[in-house]
Amino acid sequence: MPSLLRRITLTPAEPAADQGVRGDVVAEALEPIPSYCEVVDGHVHDVIEQTGDAAHAIVEQLVKVDSLAEVMAGDVSQLAGTLSRTEGELSHISASNDQLVGRLISYFLHRDHQIRALVDQMRELNQHVTQIEEVSRATNILALNAMIEAVRAGDAGEGFSVVADEVRKLAHRSSQAAHGIGSSIADLTARLDAVLSDDSQFDSDEPLPAQTEETAMTRRLGGIAGAQREMSDMVAGILKDTVNAAHQVQRSSDALISETTGAVAQVQFQDISRQMLEHVAEAVGDVARQAADIAAYARGELTEEELRDRSINVESLRAKHVMARQRATHAQQTGQEAQSAGEPLIELF
Amino acid sequence: MTTVMLVDDSATMLMSLKSILTKAGYTVETAGHGKEALEKLSKGVKPNLIISDVNMPQMDGITFAREARKAPGMRFTPILMLTTESEQSKRTEAKNAGATGWLVKPVGPDQLLGVIKQVLPGA
Repeated sequence: MPSLLRRITLTPAEPAADQGVRGDVVAEALEPIPSYCEVVDGHVHDVIEQTGDAAHAIVEQLVKVDSLAEVMAGDVSQLAGTLSRTEGELSHISASNDQLVGRLISYFLHRDHQIRALVDQMRELNQHVTQIEEVSRATNILALNAMIEAVRAGDAGEGFSVVADEVRKLAHRSSQAAHGIGSSIADLTARLDAVLSDDSQFDSDEPLPAQTEETAMTRRLGGIAGAQREMSDMVAGILKDTVNAAHQVQRSSDALISETTGAVAQVQFQDISRQMLEHVAEAVGDVARQAADIAAYARGELTEEELRDRSINVESLRAKHVMARQRATHAQQTGQEAQSAGEPLIELF
Repeated sequence: MTTVMLVDDSATMLMSLKSILTKAGYTVETAGHGKEALEKLSKGVKPNLIISDVNMPQMDGITFAREARKAPGMRFTPILMLTTESEQSKRTEAKNAGATGWLVKPVGPDQLLGVIKQVLPGA
């Protein structure tokens, strides 16, 4: 802003010839200056006070901002520490679980291989059943031949005929037993093949039969499930802690925003102080002009009338005030009764 | 998006108010005096609300309010005067010029946003 003092342009009148300098006129011209300066002084003190109040409020808010930022930093640091520790624990549990699951898969594959080998061996048993059946057939034929020979021998062969019949019966029973074994083996291998090749039950929504029997395998599987649950609980705990910490950071952040916004709003004092100081500078310019006029009068460059016409007046200063505080200060400095500022600070028409 | 036009010759005031309003979710247009604000309106800027200072160079806030009311689509746009001025005669003058309300500086963020919600209930 250009200095108002520099904007003052003196327009002295033509030198008044033969005009003496009257002390009372000079005194009269000097008279309003003290009260004028007192009002200006009051305004300057207003600005000082207002600036001080605003600076104090800003510093107070910045201190709160600082403290909130510190709390936030602490929250974030605590969260980072928790996450870091949990990450270590999770990765340990996960590695251990991976190892167990890997061993379990290998174990199942090995068991699968063993069962398939057993099934193959069972299929091989069929060859022996066939051999037994062949032996039974041959024995049966042998028994029939023996019976024919016994009949041919007449009475002497009667006893032998009984033995031959028993042998035939044994051959028949052996054949039946071999056939039964063969059927059972075929049925068993077919069912085992079906079990080994069909895993659709795993994906089925139908509940599998509950296993209450505790075996080494169920214990192993229970251990893996337990580790998995532990990991899930830990992840749930971390998420809960993270959400809580995020809420805390959110609250601190909201408070921080509120404080910074408040601090930003406090900067309005600059606009108020600027306007007050502009009026002060203008008033100081008036005083400077009055002093220059008095000097001009003393030099005979200004007449008494011109000096009086141009003279400053503390009431003219009052008319320039725009703020309630300026008017109150003016009244206080000039000993007048202050008019109450009854107007609301916010008014909707 | 609700647009607020701020008119003030103080860059500090513009920065301060813009920060408060932007944080509250408003889009902000600024002008350094009434004449500049009128130019923006004539170029098609259509604010939902105008907040103007009173004492400004080139064109004061009350004259601006009067002229803004003549701009297309601005007949019912709320115009709030935000000023250090507290003289009742000035308030009356502003009201007659078409202003919607009068706020004396300094105004806290909550007060300002509260008044905006009053004059722009749907925003």
